[in-house]
Amino acid sequence: MPEFPATVIYDEKPISVTRPQTTGDDLWLTLEDLAAATGFEIKPEGVCRDDVCVAIPSGRADAFLRSAGGEMRFNLAEFARYLEQPVAHDATHSVWLFGEPPSAWQGRLNSLIAPDFTLPDLGGNLHTLSQFRGTKVALACWASW
Amino acid sequence: MPVWQELREELKHKNFEVITVGCDVKGAAAEEQWIRAANPTHPSLIDERHLVPELYNTRNVPTTVWINEDGQIVRFDEGIYLRRRNRETGEFTVTERYLNALRDWAAKGSASGYVLSAEEAQARLRQPATEDAQATVHFRLGAYLVQQGHAAEAVAHFKQAHALKPENWNMKRQAFNLGNPEQDYGTTMQQETQIRPSYVPLDMPALPEA
Repeated sequence: MPEFPATVIYDEKPISVTRPQTTGDDLWLTLEDLAAATGFEIKPEGVCRDDVCVAIPSGRADAFLRSAGGEMRFNLAEFARYLEQPVAHDATHSVWLFGEPPSAWQGRLNSLIAPDFTLPDLGGNLHTLSQFRGTKVALACWASW
Repeated sequence: MPVWQELREELKHKNFEVITVGCDVKGAAAEEQWIRAANPTHPSLIDERHLVPELYNTRNVPTTVWINEDGQIVRFDEGIYLRRRNRETGEFTVTERYLNALRDWAAKGSASGYVLSAEEAQARLRQPATEDAQATVHFRLGAYLVQQGHAAEAVAHFKQAHALKPENWNMKRQAFNLGNPEQDYGTTMQQETQIRPSYVPLDMPALPEA
Protein backbone atom coordinates (compact mmCIF):
# COMPACT_ATOMS: atom_id res chain seq x y z
CA MET A 1 0.00 0.00 0.00
CA PRO A 2 1.41 3.45 -0.91
CA GLU A 3 2.65 5.74 1.81
CA PHE A 4 2.60 9.53 1.53
CA PRO A 5 3.64 12.01 4.21
CA ALA A 6 0.70 13.74 5.88
CA THR A 7 0.03 16.36 8.51
CA VAL A 8 -2.02 15.36 11.53
CA ILE A 9 -3.47 18.13 13.71
CA TYR A 10 -4.46 16.58 17.02
CA ASP A 11 -4.83 18.69 20.17
CA GLU A 12 -4.09 21.82 18.09
CA LYS A 13 -0.51 20.87 17.11
CA PRO A 14 0.30 20.10 13.45
CA ILE A 15 2.66 17.11 13.30
CA SER A 16 4.17 15.59 10.17
CA VAL A 17 3.71 11.87 9.94
CA THR A 18 6.06 10.22 7.51
CA ARG A 19 4.50 6.89 6.59
CA PRO A 20 0.71 6.85 6.86
CA GLN A 21 -1.49 4.63 4.71
CA THR A 22 -4.69 6.33 3.65
CA THR A 23 -7.72 4.58 2.23
CA GLY A 24 -10.91 6.59 1.92
CA ASP A 25 -11.83 7.75 5.40
CA ASP A 26 -9.19 5.66 7.12
CA LEU A 27 -5.79 6.80 8.32
CA TRP A 28 -3.43 4.00 9.29
CA LEU A 29 -0.42 5.25 11.25
CA THR A 30 2.66 3.39 12.35
CA LEU A 31 2.76 3.21 16.14
CA GLU A 32 5.75 5.54 16.04
CA ASP A 33 3.78 8.14 14.07
CA LEU A 34 0.76 7.63 16.34
CA ALA A 35 2.82 8.42 19.42
CA ALA A 36 4.44 11.46 17.76
CA ALA A 37 1.14 12.92 16.54
CA THR A 38 -1.16 12.12 19.46
CA GLY A 39 0.81 10.74 22.40
CA PHE A 40 -1.25 7.54 22.28
CA GLU A 41 0.37 4.13 22.69
CA ILE A 42 -1.03 0.65 22.21
CA LYS A 43 -0.94 -1.41 25.39
CA PRO A 44 -2.59 -4.68 26.40
CA GLU A 45 -5.39 -2.69 28.10
CA GLY A 46 -6.12 -0.58 25.03
CA VAL A 47 -5.14 2.75 23.48
CA CYS A 48 -3.42 4.72 26.22
CA ARG A 49 -2.27 8.23 26.91
CA ASP A 50 -1.08 9.49 30.29
CA ASP A 51 -3.10 7.44 32.79
CA VAL A 52 -6.12 6.90 30.57
CA CYS A 53 -6.73 3.88 28.35
CA VAL A 54 -9.55 3.36 25.87
CA ALA A 55 -10.36 -0.31 25.38
CA ILE A 56 -10.70 -1.37 21.76
CA PRO A 57 -14.28 -2.64 21.34
CA SER A 58 -14.35 -6.41 21.40
CA GLY A 59 -14.79 -8.07 18.04
CA ARG A 60 -13.75 -4.90 16.18
CA ALA A 61 -9.99 -5.03 16.64
CA ASP A 62 -9.49 -5.39 12.87
CA ALA A 63 -10.96 -1.92 12.27
CA PHE A 64 -8.39 -0.38 14.63
CA LEU A 65 -5.25 -2.45 14.34
CA ARG A 66 -3.59 -4.31 11.54
CA SER A 67 -0.24 -5.78 10.81
CA ALA A 68 1.32 -5.33 7.38
CA GLY A 69 4.78 -6.56 6.51
CA GLY A 70 5.39 -7.36 10.16
CA GLU A 71 4.60 -3.78 11.17
CA MET A 72 1.65 -2.84 13.39
CA ARG A 73 -0.56 0.10 12.37
CA PHE A 74 -3.41 1.93 14.08
CA ASN A 75 -6.41 3.53 12.35
CA LEU A 76 -6.63 6.97 13.95
CA ALA A 77 -9.70 7.92 11.89
CA GLU A 78 -11.64 4.88 13.14
CA PHE A 79 -10.61 5.75 16.67
CA ALA A 80 -11.98 9.29 16.16
CA ARG A 81 -15.28 7.88 14.88
CA TYR A 82 -15.44 5.63 17.94
CA LEU A 83 -14.85 8.63 20.26
CA GLU A 84 -17.26 10.77 18.17
CA GLN A 85 -14.52 13.27 17.40
CA PRO A 86 -15.27 15.34 14.29
CA VAL A 87 -12.58 15.05 11.61
CA ALA A 88 -11.81 17.25 8.63
CA HIS A 89 -9.53 15.95 5.89
CA ASP A 90 -7.92 17.70 2.95
CA ALA A 91 -6.85 15.13 0.38
CA THR A 92 -4.91 17.58 -1.82
CA HIS A 93 -2.46 18.55 0.91
CA SER A 94 -2.86 15.42 3.06
CA VAL A 95 -3.98 17.22 6.19
CA TRP A 96 -6.12 15.55 8.85
CA LEU A 97 -7.57 17.72 11.59
CA PHE A 98 -9.14 16.04 14.61
CA GLY A 99 -11.58 17.98 16.78
CA GLU A 100 -12.66 17.48 20.32
CA PRO A 101 -14.82 14.56 21.48
CA PRO A 102 -18.24 15.49 22.92
CA SER A 103 -16.90 14.95 26.46
CA ALA A 104 -14.72 18.05 25.93
CA TRP A 105 -17.52 20.42 24.94
CA GLN A 106 -20.83 18.96 26.09
CA GLY A 107 -20.83 20.66 29.49
CA ARG A 108 -19.64 23.99 28.07
CA LEU A 109 -22.01 26.90 28.76
CA ASN A 110 -24.27 24.60 30.79
CA SER A 111 -23.39 26.94 33.63
CA LEU A 112 -22.49 30.63 33.76
CA ILE A 113 -18.78 29.90 34.29
CA ALA A 114 -16.88 31.75 31.57
CA PRO A 115 -14.85 29.22 29.54
CA ASP A 116 -11.16 29.72 30.24
CA PHE A 117 -8.55 30.34 27.55
CA THR A 118 -4.95 31.40 27.10
CA LEU A 119 -3.89 33.55 24.15
CA PRO A 120 -0.84 35.65 23.25
CA ASP A 121 -0.63 39.41 22.86
CA LEU A 122 1.37 41.18 20.15
CA GLY A 123 4.60 40.65 22.11
CA GLY A 124 3.95 36.91 22.48
CA ASN A 125 3.12 37.15 26.19
CA LEU A 126 0.42 34.71 27.19
CA HIS A 127 -2.68 35.83 29.09
CA THR A 128 -5.21 33.54 30.76
CA LEU A 129 -8.74 34.67 31.52
CA SER A 130 -8.91 32.92 34.90
CA GLN A 131 -5.96 35.02 36.12
CA PHE A 132 -8.47 37.88 36.30
CA ARG A 133 -10.68 36.25 38.94
CA GLY A 134 -11.59 38.92 41.48
CA THR A 135 -11.91 41.56 38.76
CA LYS A 136 -14.85 42.47 36.54
CA VAL A 137 -13.87 41.76 32.95
CA ALA A 138 -15.35 43.11 29.74
CA LEU A 139 -14.30 40.53 27.15
CA ALA A 140 -14.54 42.14 23.74
CA CYS A 141 -13.99 40.29 20.46
CA TRP A 142 -13.20 42.27 17.35
CA ALA A 143 -11.76 41.65 13.90
CA SER A 144 -10.17 43.67 11.14
CA TRP A 145 -12.30 41.99 8.45
CA MET B 1 -10.34 49.48 20.25
CA PRO B 2 -9.47 53.10 21.15
CA VAL B 3 -12.79 53.40 22.99
CA TRP B 4 -12.06 50.28 25.02
CA GLN B 5 -8.68 51.72 25.97
CA GLU B 6 -10.25 55.01 27.12
CA LEU B 7 -12.92 53.18 29.10
CA ARG B 8 -10.31 50.94 30.69
CA GLU B 9 -8.26 53.92 31.86
CA GLU B 10 -11.39 55.58 33.21
CA LEU B 11 -12.57 52.51 35.15
CA LYS B 12 -9.39 50.65 36.07
CA HIS B 13 -9.62 51.80 39.70
CA LYS B 14 -13.04 50.19 40.01
CA ASN B 15 -11.82 46.62 39.87
CA PHE B 16 -12.55 46.52 36.17
CA GLU B 17 -10.47 45.25 33.26
CA VAL B 18 -10.91 45.08 29.53
CA ILE B 19 -9.63 42.13 27.50
CA THR B 20 -9.85 42.52 23.76
CA VAL B 21 -9.47 39.51 21.46
CA GLY B 22 -8.76 40.03 17.78
CA CYS B 23 -9.96 37.10 15.69
CA ASP B 24 -8.13 36.84 12.41
CA VAL B 25 -6.66 33.87 10.59
CA LYS B 26 -3.87 36.22 9.49
CA GLY B 27 -3.06 36.93 13.12
CA ALA B 28 -0.72 39.75 14.10
CA ALA B 29 -0.07 40.67 10.46
CA ALA B 30 -3.69 41.78 10.13
CA GLU B 31 -4.16 43.17 13.63
CA GLU B 32 -0.92 44.89 14.53
CA GLN B 33 -1.71 48.29 13.02
CA TRP B 34 -5.05 48.47 14.86
CA ILE B 35 -3.57 47.38 18.17
CA ARG B 36 -0.64 49.81 17.90
CA ALA B 37 -3.00 52.66 17.05
CA ALA B 38 -5.11 51.96 20.16
CA ASN B 39 -1.95 51.50 22.27
CA PRO B 40 -3.78 49.38 24.85
CA THR B 41 -2.71 49.04 28.48
CA HIS B 42 -5.18 46.15 28.87
CA PRO B 43 -4.54 42.66 27.48
CA SER B 44 -5.05 42.80 23.73
CA LEU B 45 -4.93 39.23 22.50
CA ILE B 46 -4.50 37.60 19.12
CA ASP B 47 -6.74 34.66 18.26
CA GLU B 48 -5.67 33.18 14.91
CA ARG B 49 -7.95 30.21 15.07
CA HIS B 50 -11.07 31.86 16.52
CA LEU B 51 -10.77 30.00 19.82
CA VAL B 52 -12.83 32.49 21.85
CA PRO B 53 -15.80 32.46 19.43
CA GLU B 54 -15.60 28.66 19.53
CA LEU B 55 -15.55 28.46 23.35
CA TYR B 56 -18.30 31.07 23.82
CA ASN B 57 -20.27 30.01 20.74
CA THR B 58 -20.60 33.60 19.58
CA ARG B 59 -21.49 34.26 15.97
CA ASN B 60 -20.21 37.66 14.95
CA VAL B 61 -17.90 40.50 15.89
CA PRO B 62 -17.79 42.85 17.57
CA THR B 63 -19.24 41.18 20.61
CA THR B 64 -18.91 41.72 24.32
CA VAL B 65 -19.28 39.36 27.28
CA TRP B 66 -19.39 40.66 30.86
CA ILE B 67 -17.64 38.38 33.38
CA ASN B 68 -17.91 39.09 37.10
CA GLU B 69 -15.34 38.71 39.89
CA ASP B 70 -16.29 35.04 40.33
CA GLY B 71 -15.67 34.26 36.66
CA GLN B 72 -19.40 34.10 35.88
CA ILE B 73 -21.03 35.50 32.77
CA VAL B 74 -23.48 38.30 33.66
CA ARG B 75 -24.16 39.66 30.16
CA PHE B 76 -23.57 37.77 26.95
CA ASP B 77 -22.78 38.31 23.30
CA GLU B 78 -23.81 41.88 22.60
CA GLY B 79 -22.79 43.11 19.16
CA ILE B 80 -22.16 46.75 19.81
CA TYR B 81 -19.87 48.95 17.78
CA LEU B 82 -18.59 51.31 20.47
CA ARG B 83 -17.54 53.79 17.85
CA ARG B 84 -19.00 54.08 14.37
CA ARG B 85 -17.96 56.25 11.51
CA ASN B 86 -20.68 57.94 9.51
CA ARG B 87 -19.93 57.09 5.87
CA GLU B 88 -21.18 60.42 4.56
CA THR B 89 -19.86 62.90 7.09
CA GLY B 90 -16.83 60.91 8.27
CA GLU B 91 -17.76 61.74 11.85
CA PHE B 92 -17.44 59.24 14.64
CA THR B 93 -20.25 58.57 17.06
CA VAL B 94 -19.74 56.68 20.30
CA THR B 95 -22.36 54.35 21.70
CA GLU B 96 -22.63 56.12 25.06
CA ARG B 97 -25.57 54.02 26.13
CA TYR B 98 -23.46 50.87 26.22
CA LEU B 99 -20.47 52.62 27.80
CA ASN B 100 -22.75 53.99 30.51
CA ALA B 101 -24.03 50.50 31.22
CA LEU B 102 -20.44 49.31 31.65
CA ARG B 103 -19.71 52.31 33.93
CA ASP B 104 -22.74 51.43 36.02
CA TRP B 105 -21.54 47.83 36.36
CA ALA B 106 -17.97 48.89 37.22
CA ALA B 107 -19.35 51.15 39.98
CA LYS B 108 -22.05 48.93 41.43
CA GLY B 109 -20.96 45.39 40.60
CA SER B 110 -23.66 42.79 41.14
CA ALA B 111 -26.06 45.55 42.32
CA SER B 112 -26.03 47.10 38.84
CA GLY B 113 -29.38 46.88 37.07
CA TYR B 114 -27.51 45.71 33.96
CA VAL B 115 -26.38 42.48 35.60
CA LEU B 116 -28.68 39.74 34.37
CA SER B 117 -30.19 37.26 36.79
CA ALA B 118 -28.67 33.78 36.60
CA GLU B 119 -31.76 32.55 34.74
CA GLU B 120 -31.70 35.39 32.20
CA ALA B 121 -27.97 35.02 31.60
CA GLN B 122 -28.22 31.25 31.21
CA ALA B 123 -31.07 31.66 28.73
CA ARG B 124 -28.84 33.80 26.52
CA LEU B 125 -25.98 31.27 26.36
CA ARG B 126 -25.94 28.87 23.43
CA GLN B 127 -24.71 25.45 24.40
CA PRO B 128 -22.63 23.83 21.68
CA ALA B 129 -24.20 21.13 19.52
CA THR B 130 -22.65 18.46 17.31
CA GLU B 131 -22.89 20.80 14.28
CA ASP B 132 -20.81 23.42 16.11
CA ALA B 133 -18.03 20.90 16.75
CA GLN B 134 -18.20 19.69 13.13
CA ALA B 135 -18.21 23.21 11.68
CA THR B 136 -15.25 24.09 13.88
CA VAL B 137 -12.99 21.37 12.46
CA HIS B 138 -13.77 22.40 8.89
CA PHE B 139 -13.20 26.06 9.71
CA ARG B 140 -9.94 25.27 11.50
CA LEU B 141 -8.72 23.15 8.58
CA GLY B 142 -9.55 26.02 6.20
CA ALA B 143 -7.67 28.42 8.46
CA TYR B 144 -4.67 26.10 8.60
CA LEU B 145 -4.56 25.78 4.81
CA VAL B 146 -4.70 29.58 4.42
CA GLN B 147 -1.82 29.92 6.87
CA GLN B 148 0.15 27.37 4.82
CA GLY B 149 -0.45 29.40 1.65
CA HIS B 150 -3.23 27.21 0.24
CA ALA B 151 -6.11 29.69 0.21
CA ALA B 152 -7.76 28.12 -2.86
CA GLU B 153 -8.04 24.71 -1.22
CA ALA B 154 -9.37 26.30 1.98
CA VAL B 155 -12.59 27.36 0.24
CA ALA B 156 -14.13 23.87 0.17
CA HIS B 157 -13.59 23.48 3.92
CA PHE B 158 -14.96 26.92 4.74
CA LYS B 159 -18.02 26.06 2.64
CA GLN B 160 -18.61 22.96 4.72
CA ALA B 161 -18.37 25.04 7.89
CA HIS B 162 -20.88 27.55 6.47
CA ALA B 163 -23.29 24.78 5.48
CA LEU B 164 -23.18 23.31 8.98
CA LYS B 165 -23.58 26.68 10.75
CA PRO B 166 -25.23 29.15 8.34
CA GLU B 167 -25.90 31.59 11.19
CA ASN B 168 -22.21 31.85 12.11
CA TRP B 169 -21.06 35.18 10.68
CA ASN B 170 -17.53 34.85 12.06
CA MET B 171 -16.87 31.88 9.82
CA LYS B 172 -18.51 33.56 6.82
CA ARG B 173 -17.03 37.03 7.11
CA GLN B 174 -13.55 35.66 7.78
CA ALA B 175 -13.70 33.33 4.77
CA PHE B 176 -15.12 36.04 2.49
CA ASN B 177 -12.32 38.37 3.59
CA LEU B 178 -9.67 35.79 2.68
CA GLY B 179 -11.00 35.31 -0.83
CA ASN B 180 -13.57 36.61 -3.26
CA PRO B 181 -17.10 35.97 -1.94
CA GLU B 182 -18.78 35.99 -5.36
CA GLN B 183 -16.18 33.85 -7.11
CA ASP B 184 -15.46 31.46 -4.27
CA TYR B 185 -18.82 31.24 -2.51
CA GLY B 186 -21.33 32.51 -5.07
CA THR B 187 -22.68 35.11 -2.69
CA THR B 188 -22.00 38.50 -1.13
CA MET B 189 -22.34 39.87 2.37
CA GLN B 190 -25.26 41.96 1.14
CA GLN B 191 -27.09 38.88 -0.10
CA GLU B 192 -26.29 37.02 3.08
CA THR B 193 -27.59 39.75 5.37
CA GLN B 194 -30.85 39.76 3.42
CA ILE B 195 -31.32 36.08 4.23
CA ARG B 196 -30.71 36.45 7.97
CA PRO B 197 -29.84 39.33 10.29
CA SER B 198 -26.19 39.60 11.22
CA TYR B 199 -26.74 41.18 14.65
CA VAL B 200 -29.23 40.49 17.39
CA PRO B 201 -30.81 43.76 18.62
CA LEU B 202 -29.53 44.89 22.01
CA ASP B 203 -31.80 43.61 24.79
CA MET B 204 -30.83 45.96 27.60
CA PRO B 205 -32.97 48.02 29.95
CA ALA B 206 -32.88 51.83 29.69
CA LEU B 207 -31.89 52.62 33.26
CA PRO B 208 -31.23 56.03 34.80
CA GLU B 209 -27.56 56.85 34.30
CA ALA B 210 -25.06 56.07 37.04
